[in-house]
Amino acid sequence: MSQIQIQETRALDARGLLCPMPVIRTAKAMKELAPGEVLKLTATDRGSIADIPAWAESTGNELIEWHEEGEAIVFFLRKSSEEA
Amino acid sequence: MADQEKLVVMVTHGPDEPELATIPFAMAGAAVASDVDVVMGFQGNGCLLVKKGVAETVRAPEFAPLGELMSTIHELGGTFLVCSPCVKSRGLSEDDLVEGAEIVAAARFVAEVTSATTSLVY
Repeated sequence: MSQIQIQETRALDARGLLCPMPVIRTAKAMKELAPGEVLKLTATDRGSIADIPAWAESTGNELIEWHEEGEAIVFFLRKSSEEA
Repeated sequence: MADQEKLVVMVTHGPDEPELATIPFAMAGAAVASDVDVVMGFQGNGCLLVKKGVAETVRAPEFAPLGELMSTIHELGGTFLVCSPCVKSRGLSEDDLVEGAEIVAAARFVAEVTSATTSLVY
């Protein structure tokens, strides 16, 4: 399967963290990015597959893409240009 | 963005029921991460969770540690309100509670719940 090449601004390793810490760490990391910058999140909590898209939608940030890499789930999120 | 939403989470289970004690913190944690204003209310044995040193002892399988959730919610601006009679009947005072916990009575809980977007009771 071909994958889109996305250049992240910052990477967050949330492997091993349990619900709801991946979402909380993501929210904290995104606050430190400028609008338009991209966070690469790597998690192993299967709940993240539902949680991260829901979080992105409720906060107005963009989930560009996600995929699985073995046990891990990799998300690319773009910080919203809107101020929360 | 929509107007600030507010979630009130009432906690009535204590450290003897780790899962039911932890789930409200997981919900509140996800809410503060989603820019929702969060108020947690502790009544009954839920009060014991905000006694200093107790949260760190509570672990529910497959959930983040309760102590980590509590400190994160506090750090991200969540409010902890604790039932006055429940605290007194357990021999606790404000000095026994974690930083940021405020002892209040029924009318304050009512004011928080009636002004919230949604309330959850555990």
